[in-house]
Amino acid sequence: MFLTKNDHQPIANEASQAAKQRHLRNAVLGLCVMTAFATIAGFSNPTFTTVDNLFVVIRAASMTGIVAIAMSFLTISGNLFALSASSLGALIAVVFAVTTSSFGFPIGLALTFGVAVLCGLAQGITVAGFGNPIIATLAFGTVFRGFAAYLSGNSIVRIDSPAALWLGTARPFGVPTQSWIFMLCALVCWAIIRHTKLGRQTILCGSNPHAARASGLNLAFVTSSAFVFMSVGTAIMAILNVAQFSQAKADLFWGYDFDYIAAVLVGGIALSGGKGSPMQAALGAILIALLQNYMLLNGFSSGLRMTIVGALVVAAISVFHIMQGKVR
Amino acid sequence: MLRMTNIIKKYGPTLVLDEVQFAVEAGEVMALMGENGAGKSTLVKILAGLEIPQAGTIEIDGHTKHIRSPRDSHAAGIGYVAQELSIVPSLPVYENVFLGDNTLGILRTPRVLAKKAKPFLESVGLGNIDPLTYTESLSVAERQLVEIARLLSREARIAILDEPTAALSDAEIARVKSAVRTLAGRGCAVIYVTHRMPEVFDLTDRVTVLRNGNSFPALETKNLTVDTLIEEMLGRRLDNMFPARSDGLQEIKLQLSGVRGAGLRAPVSLNVRRGEILGLAGQVGSGASSVLRLIAGTIPLAEGHMLLDGAAFRPKNISNSKQAGIAYCSDDRKHDGIFAGRSVPENLSAPALSIISRAGFLSFGKERRLAEYISSRFGIDASYFSRLAGNLSGGNQQKVALGKWIGINPNLLLVEEPTRGVDVGARAEIYRHLRELANAGLCIIFASSDTQEVLGLADRVGTFFHGELVRTMDAADATVQQISKDVTHATEAMA
Repeated sequence: MFLTKNDHQPIANEASQAAKQRHLRNAVLGLCVMTAFATIAGFSNPTFTTVDNLFVVIRAASMTGIVAIAMSFLTISGNLFALSASSLGALIAVVFAVTTSSFGFPIGLALTFGVAVLCGLAQGITVAGFGNPIIATLAFGTVFRGFAAYLSGNSIVRIDSPAALWLGTARPFGVPTQSWIFMLCALVCWAIIRHTKLGRQTILCGSNPHAARASGLNLAFVTSSAFVFMSVGTAIMAILNVAQFSQAKADLFWGYDFDYIAAVLVGGIALSGGKGSPMQAALGAILIALLQNYMLLNGFSSGLRMTIVGALVVAAISVFHIMQGKVR
Repeated sequence: MLRMTNIIKKYGPTLVLDEVQFAVEAGEVMALMGENGAGKSTLVKILAGLEIPQAGTIEIDGHTKHIRSPRDSHAAGIGYVAQELSIVPSLPVYENVFLGDNTLGILRTPRVLAKKAKPFLESVGLGNIDPLTYTESLSVAERQLVEIARLLSREARIAILDEPTAALSDAEIARVKSAVRTLAGRGCAVIYVTHRMPEVFDLTDRVTVLRNGNSFPALETKNLTVDTLIEEMLGRRLDNMFPARSDGLQEIKLQLSGVRGAGLRAPVSLNVRRGEILGLAGQVGSGASSVLRLIAGTIPLAEGHMLLDGAAFRPKNISNSKQAGIAYCSDDRKHDGIFAGRSVPENLSAPALSIISRAGFLSFGKERRLAEYISSRFGIDASYFSRLAGNLSGGNQQKVALGKWIGINPNLLLVEEPTRGVDVGARAEIYRHLRELANAGLCIIFASSDTQEVLGLADRVGTFFHGELVRTMDAADATVQQISKDVTHATEAMA
């Protein structure tokens, strides 16, 4: 009975406009930071602003970005992040390589995604049942990495599939497939969080899990689905990597977990949950890639690059913390 | 002594204090009153240095003071006792008396400090407490008194007490009152924020009323009555706190036969009809709210059975009871009643996501119309829609916490403490809306420790003591004295 159109109130529309302006302001702020950085960097090193280099940056951001986008579901749902992404990536890479070399590309792809969903469910149900995502994913990470080594017999698994090779190296309309998939993931995941019931449930559970449970939402379902998203995203990244190099190994992506988490944090997604969007994780990944690229072009040593990216994450956390205090 | 002039405070576009004037003299107790959201807390937080106003001046003894941090506030001789106590339970009492005092020097032995703390404790009526005991062994009222002792030790010249008695019983309130008199007797200007009428008339010399961020000239308490004070706060007459009861009996909605679960020591049997409001009176831990939780499915049924519309009903969790058309609102809205970081419409649609979505996709148009529908039924101002629920006043938060359930069209509403921390005006509104819902056929069961509320709102009353149902009676036949007696001295009442 509330679904009658005639009781629209103009005051309510004004209110929603205020909220929209707030979002717009945040987006503009983010873009300004990036443009300013790109301009300054472009002056000091002209290579930085070439179109080719832009592709390099987006491509570099793609792989981390896809995982960060998927990881943002966990953060938004109030489950912080997973420390198992890199290990899961290695396991998925090995599974994809093994199944593709045995059954061919299409069946291999399907089986791999099946395994990814199962891995997500296993983690999600564990976390939903026993709490702490950090400890649980740390343990699962070891399981995944170990199983990847077992499955691959600790050696390189090679594949020979033209379809996979196309996926890994093609450039439709001059843009690498990885970048297309990265942008597609960002859009789809943004739409899921913003426009679907599941997305709203994810936000509400992150905002206040007790109120979510009291409102009759299923926390275990939301947590599990967030882990499934995270696992599927990781699987997409791992498959693209195997496709590109036609091989997989159990020690792939070693030490990448911080990069994924850094992208989520630099994107400004609150660790407390219930706020933010996967699009922010994508922007975070691009920002870090820009910085990395600039430092590479200017010959910064790897140690210095690492220091600076770490410092950026610390700065990002502090700035967003202070800003949140101000807004309230 | 203290004079605040033309204080302006905005949160974003919202004007919270609009050129507020406020003044207190030495040795007087000034009540600061107003509905939730009127700006009381903001005003005292400005004095405490926790909020910084956009404009206005603060003068103490004719000297302009710039208070931009709690440190400035201390230095200006202002002491602030917040609603949420700032006591460290794991420290001894004397440490809490001198907490934040940097003048004590480096050499501080417990014995010397305890001796120093003793007179301050004595003057707030805590002479029987050894300053060396740990604060966690003290009651809430005693901790409150320790905070007042802290104000004395700092020689605060202006003391601000923000709802010091909200969580206290009558006997404990008396102790706080006498400590406040001690403060004023020493020449301290006391600013006393409260919702409780008896204290205002008992304790304060003058009253300053804030309404929608506007201040009104202070009034002499002795020239006021409860009714005129409520009118001042609301800006209109409050005709009737409680709405008229319903008439006409309808069919039985829910039947409890010998049910027992955590928090109940004896089986409970109750009936409730459609269109009826059943009030369960009882103090904290009496078992009144356990009955609601059993029906909502948040605690398991140990024995007995329930019939809902004549069919056996045994919910395992909230989702179960929600599917059966039951809505449950706990007594702690901050904990599990609202999503503080999300907007009002997002809060209101939370239990009704299936209704505002199709094939898994949300319709923002439907969400907005749902929010508008609930707001019109529950008196929530649509101009709050862009605000985060956590930034609303207590009364509006409670309306959101209750109102969100209207979206699922429930046929049984369970509410614990429907008006905890809600001011007089919003309280009357909530009672009226609940009664309107009951008149529309909804069955409402609420649990409350406020005897007046149970008697005024309910059609039928059940009294609880110590995990047992003492008796049920028609509200028309019950009196405040009888209910109070039931919920405190059950053995006498049952004999």
